[in-house]
Amino acid sequence: MYLVNYIKEVLSALRSLLIGMRRTLFYFTHHKEIITEQYPDNRATLKLADRFKGEVVMPHNENNEHRCTGCTACELACPNGTIKVITKFDITPEGKKKKAIDKLVYHLELCTMCNLCVYACPSDAIKMAQTFEHSVFDRNQLTKVLNFPDSKIMDGVE
Amino acid sequence: MSGSTILFYMLAGLILGSGLLSVTTRQLFRAAIYLLFSLIGMAGMYFWMEYDFIAAVQIVVYVGGITVLIIFSIFLTQQAGELLPQAKFSRSLFSALASFCAFALVMIQILGHTFPTKTATTVDPNVKNIGYQMLGVNSGGGYALPFEVVSMLLLAALVGCIIIALNQKPIKK
Amino acid sequence: MWSISKIASLVHEWLSNTFSATWVTVFEMVIAGVLVISLFAVLGLILVMMERKVSAWIQIRLGPNRVGPKGMFQSAADTVKLLVKEGMTPNGADKLLFNVAPFLAIVVSMLLMAPLAFAKDFTLWDINIGVLYVSAISSVSVISILMAGWASNNKYSLMGAMRSGAQIVSYELSAGLSIMAIVVLTGSLNFNDIILSQADGWWIFKGHLPIWIAFIVFLIAVTAETNRAPFDLAEAESELTAGFHTEYSGMKFALFFLAEYVNVFIVCAIGATLFLGGWMPFHIGHWDGFNHIMDFIPSSLWFFGKTFFLIFLIMWFRWSFPRLRIDQLLNLEWKYLLPISMVNILLVTAMAILKWHF
Repeated sequence: MYLVNYIKEVLSALRSLLIGMRRTLFYFTHHKEIITEQYPDNRATLKLADRFKGEVVMPHNENNEHRCTGCTACELACPNGTIKVITKFDITPEGKKKKAIDKLVYHLELCTMCNLCVYACPSDAIKMAQTFEHSVFDRNQLTKVLNFPDSKIMDGVE
Repeated sequence: MSGSTILFYMLAGLILGSGLLSVTTRQLFRAAIYLLFSLIGMAGMYFWMEYDFIAAVQIVVYVGGITVLIIFSIFLTQQAGELLPQAKFSRSLFSALASFCAFALVMIQILGHTFPTKTATTVDPNVKNIGYQMLGVNSGGGYALPFEVVSMLLLAALVGCIIIALNQKPIKK
Repeated sequence: MWSISKIASLVHEWLSNTFSATWVTVFEMVIAGVLVISLFAVLGLILVMMERKVSAWIQIRLGPNRVGPKGMFQSAADTVKLLVKEGMTPNGADKLLFNVAPFLAIVVSMLLMAPLAFAKDFTLWDINIGVLYVSAISSVSVISILMAGWASNNKYSLMGAMRSGAQIVSYELSAGLSIMAIVVLTGSLNFNDIILSQADGWWIFKGHLPIWIAFIVFLIAVTAETNRAPFDLAEAESELTAGFHTEYSGMKFALFFLAEYVNVFIVCAIGATLFLGGWMPFHIGHWDGFNHIMDFIPSSLWFFGKTFFLIFLIMWFRWSFPRLRIDQLLNLEWKYLLPISMVNILLVTAMAILKWHF
């Protein structure tokens, strides 16, 4: 009985090794499967995966309007203080004060691309972009203001 | 002086030189390595005499087996990397005396022995012949019985090792 | 037709006509030495390149593709880099042994080249006990590893050397036993005799199941003996940085690297000689036309083709399987390979006595 088990064990081990070798032989002979990107050469045609996250941006429409209400949810959600929301008070036509953003300061050098700010945003004002060529000679250039100059909040976003 | 003689003296120099270094060095690991080269020199000597089989066996047993075991035991020893203490004068004297006596004994034997000038008929040293010579039980004067006795001894040693290495469970009462 | 053995005999004739017997021997030794060293260099270049390409394709990568066409000169560029690098000797090292160890490794691989039959009637040293000689000399290679590990005066090196020693000493047994299977069937230790005994079919076809088992055991054991993955505990990068050659740099490191690859070539050449018929062409029964075409392929090509097939197999192992732990490694040897090959050698002996093989 012991002997039968022993032989069975050896045979099943050999079988599992052969299964692994079949897989690697498949890859060895199918060069279409190769996933290496020849990056600087194929820069024009490079396609990144959907899940790739490169940088936080704030999309604006053609009227230079964004959706940010200045609620600072992103600032609170950020685990390492990457985002700083500087708010101001606009005067609405009715003469009421309304909170709005002056600047949304984003420190790319601190960002870990964790996407928590995007989750936290109640009005979908920010999203992750797929850019990745971030290197600059001066560190200060990595501190960015996400809202464009003179941009306004979109109508209907509270 | 032919090339063969030069080769002989070179091998002899290797054996004697590394043997001498092996006993005089104060680093344990180096002593083992010098011993190794001495043994390799002996294997080379067998090759020089065209006893290929014995040379290969010399390498397998002494170089590949015993020296590796020695090196392993040095690795497992504490403070094996430190210099050995300088030997006492009396001890070196007695060692020198002992080795001189052994040398004298061997030399007396060699000088007193009359070597046959004519070499015996060469036997074809293929595997079959070697096998029959060594393990044959019939008239060839084989070594089957000593071989078996030695293997019994080795078996006993192996069983002993396993007994010592066994994980002894405490007896429950 | 030109063959390697013919060229060799022409060279020998020309030398014997021009010089005296002693000088002929000296010159022939020099020629053989130069040939072996250049074979070393070429093998190093080719095998490193082959390994990098095979590993890349198996791992769905491209591999080196910048230096030369398709990156084929990458290993040459690496060699130049290694040649000009500084060879450091650490302060606390045993300087003599530290510097001797890589040369011992390479000399052992050179000695192992001697009895191989590279082509028909072409052997450096047609020694009577070729197989025993090879297993004897290859047991010396462990000494160079132990020496390097000790002399580096580094705990990783020492641990790598210990592991490597335990591994080589234990796997030598099953490698030897699987080689014995062929020796039992052939009745000779001479490589040329073994090849000639396969004129009517290679042993792997003639020898039924027991030879297949011996072949598999041989492949596993030599992979372990050459310290290659999945048995590369001696230089396990993630645990021991680089094992016994952690402290080596420049050309001394390159010698260890070269010795490793040449050892792979040698064990594969031995495997090809014992199981796949060495330089013997592939023949099928009585298909005379087919056999005749096969005879036209030069014998050296057959030898190198089979050897490189086995090298590919070993590389395939390396990039398919994860590394074993030390206890798994020793379990595999002492609980599986050794008993199996012991039973197997009994089967082979019975087969040889009863003449069951073809």
